[in-house]
Amino acid sequence: MRDTLSTRFLGRTVLLAILALYTCYSAGPFLWIASMSLRTTSEISANAYALPETLHWEKYIEAWTGSNYGTYFWNSTIVVVSAVLALTIIGAMAAHCLARYRFPGNRVVLFVIFSTLIFPPQITIISLFQSLVEYRLYDTLLGLTLVYIAIQLPLTVYILEGFFARIPQDLYDAAKVDGYSHWEIFWKITMPVGMPAIATTVILNFINLWNEFLYAVVLITDESNRTLPLGVQKFMGDQLEDIGMISTGLMIAIVPVIVVYAFFSEKLIQGMTAGAVK
Amino acid sequence: MIVFVTPALLMYAAFTAYPVIRTFWNSVHIIRPGGRTEFVGLDHYVELFANDDIFFRAVTNTLTWAGVAPLIDVGVGLLLALCLYARVPFARIFRVAWFTPVLISYVVVAILWMWIYNYDWGVANMLLRSVGLEDWQQTWIGHPDTALWSLIFAHAWKWAGFNMVVCLAAIHALPREVLEAAELDNCGWFHKLVFIIVPMIRPTLVNLLILAFIGKMRVFDLVWIMTGGGPMWSTETVSTYVYKRAFEWNTFDLGYPSTVAAIWFIVVLCCVLGLTWLFRQRDRLEY
Amino acid sequence: MAVVTLERISKRYPGGDELAVDDVTFTVDDGEFMVLLGPSGCGKSTTLRMVAGLEAVSSGTLAIDGVVMNSVPARDRDIAMVFQSYALYPHMTARDNMAFGLKRRRMPAAERERRVAEVAEMLDLTPYLGRKPHALSGGQRQRVALGRAIVRDPKVFLFDEPLSNLDAALRVSTRNELIKLHQRLGATMIYVTHDQVEAMTMGTRICIMNRGRLVQVGPPLGVYRDPADTFVARFLGNPPMNLMEAAMLDGPTVRVGEATMPLPSRVDPSRLPRTGGRVTFGIRPEDLYEQPPADIAERTAPLPVRVTGIEPLGAETLLLVVPDNTEQEIIARVDRNSTARPGDRVVLGLDTASAHLFDADSGVTLDRH
Ligand SMILES: Nc1ncnc2c1ncn2[C@@H]1O[C@H](COP(=O)(O)OP(=O)(O)OP(=O)(O)O)[C@@H](O)[C@H]1O
Ligand SMILES: [Mg+2]
Repeated sequence: MRDTLSTRFLGRTVLLAILALYTCYSAGPFLWIASMSLRTTSEISANAYALPETLHWEKYIEAWTGSNYGTYFWNSTIVVVSAVLALTIIGAMAAHCLARYRFPGNRVVLFVIFSTLIFPPQITIISLFQSLVEYRLYDTLLGLTLVYIAIQLPLTVYILEGFFARIPQDLYDAAKVDGYSHWEIFWKITMPVGMPAIATTVILNFINLWNEFLYAVVLITDESNRTLPLGVQKFMGDQLEDIGMISTGLMIAIVPVIVVYAFFSEKLIQGMTAGAVK
Repeated sequence: MIVFVTPALLMYAAFTAYPVIRTFWNSVHIIRPGGRTEFVGLDHYVELFANDDIFFRAVTNTLTWAGVAPLIDVGVGLLLALCLYARVPFARIFRVAWFTPVLISYVVVAILWMWIYNYDWGVANMLLRSVGLEDWQQTWIGHPDTALWSLIFAHAWKWAGFNMVVCLAAIHALPREVLEAAELDNCGWFHKLVFIIVPMIRPTLVNLLILAFIGKMRVFDLVWIMTGGGPMWSTETVSTYVYKRAFEWNTFDLGYPSTVAAIWFIVVLCCVLGLTWLFRQRDRLEY
Repeated sequence: MAVVTLERISKRYPGGDELAVDDVTFTVDDGEFMVLLGPSGCGKSTTLRMVAGLEAVSSGTLAIDGVVMNSVPARDRDIAMVFQSYALYPHMTARDNMAFGLKRRRMPAAERERRVAEVAEMLDLTPYLGRKPHALSGGQRQRVALGRAIVRDPKVFLFDEPLSNLDAALRVSTRNELIKLHQRLGATMIYVTHDQVEAMTMGTRICIMNRGRLVQVGPPLGVYRDPADTFVARFLGNPPMNLMEAAMLDGPTVRVGEATMPLPSRVDPSRLPRTGGRVTFGIRPEDLYEQPPADIAERTAPLPVRVTGIEPLGAETLLLVVPDNTEQEIIARVDRNSTARPGDRVVLGLDTASAHLFDADSGVTLDRH
């Protein structure tokens, strides 16, 4: 008998050890930074791995007031919320049309949008920079919002189209018999029935844009227009070697994400993996 | 009816299609600040292939990254998924915990890993010291030999959880009876993995590999913050190089970086088409 | 040689509050075709999966050829199983599907090829060996699944409703092939189904389960003739056995509706309730006659009824009737030339030798065994 009790027990133990190790590896850095965020830099230079002795909560106040975090959060929120809203409506409309109406070129449009998913961002970034400068949208939140809508649009349409195409046709036929207009069909059938997929794309777009860095770094220069990732980078630059302070700054950026994640973990996971799970 | 797609098509035309075309147009011009342009034909392309060592360095680095990292990401993700599939306690909690890095922005991840790689007090060297391997200590991201691999490792930290979740979902979707049939056919967990599970979730794995490949071909944020492409171009990627040529170096020409971008666009396109062709499913799996 | 013994086997699923299988004991003899029969959710699959080793046994002893198997992993039990969904490996050809188990048991390639070819020939699969499951019809997939079990030449074959995904005609022909296969291989087989026709025609014995418990084990006709309780009585037979409330009278006789009749001959008098007590009276539709044949006329009792419906089935006619002085509708299977009309009053002949009595509360038979 190959599987005796003891080998099975051994296998179990090894397995659990691997799980524990990987958890340390994956979660450890967060704990490390959390503990550093509550310690002063001099304490940290004495020993980088000690637990906080006194909890320096005041560092959070200092980090917040001594920087423009308020602005960064506000800018990020404005840009991301308006981009996600616009994406949801524009994307859902397009997906609805592509999934429901057969018109010449229907599949071509879908294929073009789909193939955009593989474009490297460099192919558009320089000319986007030029165009925004020309239209005086460079270094404005509006310009960044428009670009954000454009970069997430293909994935949004792709995911929604896949879902909308699976809504039973009977529903639409019934609506037509009831005399709904095209517009009513979209708002009263596709949107409510497609809610799970829409929620998914909202989450996906929100997280991706909240963390977006490359376009922001190219298209935004002014301090008052920085989004959160730019702000964090700036904060790090300003604090130079003040490790303790930077940790606090990082935690300010991490905590909201973790809090939301703690409440909606399954939704977030599902949203983030939506493009990959078939 | 068509009204429904119009906004999307307009956005697409203005902010995706037009910029792509403009980049190609840029690539045969010299674009000076203030909009003065000068047609130079294929000069940039010639220059790039003939003289630009940094570009080739960037290409080598990016291709190394894109070649190795998907295997690491998906491999680790698959193994983790299998661990969780083996009915361990707290599997749900592990899954949620391992996914966290996916949600954190690259800026934060980059700073975090700069500290982990810090020579004096970083976790990496601290661990080496604590097991008595002082000689192995490195200035991880400060040395040309180790910098790229250190970045690849940090990048994998962020993405393994993502691949794990997707693999786990695919494994859970497999029909239980087929796995049981394999068990009756004398398969231990390893043979079950190699002969049954991997072939059956192959479409998912291919999907993940290609996604990871595309991601690595455009990698920018992490490099930009951690090393800025240095030391000695050892972590320069095509993305960082384009950015530098366009916005950092005072060459006052947007044409040349556009050429780099255009070439890279074609390379990515060919690679993805090639990969898709290579991994194409010769027939459906139905279960 | 394989004898499968289940000794007081129980199964509780983690998180389940009821026992899925509750204290089941039976033995499957060497070369026997044992059918596990019961309604949906009664624990048939669970029992079979415990024999296979796919589910752990919660308590009790499972042995094959006297060797306790409780903690032996599935792959070391030398068992083959055919699943309801066939569970073919979708990425392998039919040939590889059949050869896979042999390969994993390190059988030399030549021997393997020979075995697969032989079994494919036997199941008429030879032309399809190079195809993958998605290119096979349901019946062909089913035969590949069967072939995969046969090539292994296991000690015990397990089947979990292998025919339920086939259409009616194919099911009948495959059923007959399975019967032939069993005769030819002489192997021990355990077969789960909820189809009583399959159970009656295929099994050397059937084992009836209800709510996780084993109710009765015996040869098909034996179980049909002598059901252990009202559950088995109604579960086997189509239409099912008629059950009516009845009262014990002096004599002893038993009173059903207006009719008073002598005790059925098979009843065990010592287990009867006292005079005035209540029992459940059972009679199969085919044991009610419009005109009893001469040879059994003297053991029939008259049962006056009112006809409420007729269902002419061609070969025979079903009469829906209500015995006088009762509310309950029962079914009689009568000659196809019956002229009864709804509303008619007729007197049926009831074959007392074939009637059963059951305990009114527990439903357990009062017949002699
Ligand atoms: N994995 C499981 N976890 C918890 N309960 C289960 C599990 N599998 C089965 N059960 C329960 O155990 C009982 C017996 O299930 P089982 O599958 O053995 O029924 P069955 O007789 O095969 O039914 P069917 O004819 O529908 O296949 C059912 O009540 C079922 O809900
Ligand atoms: Mg079952």
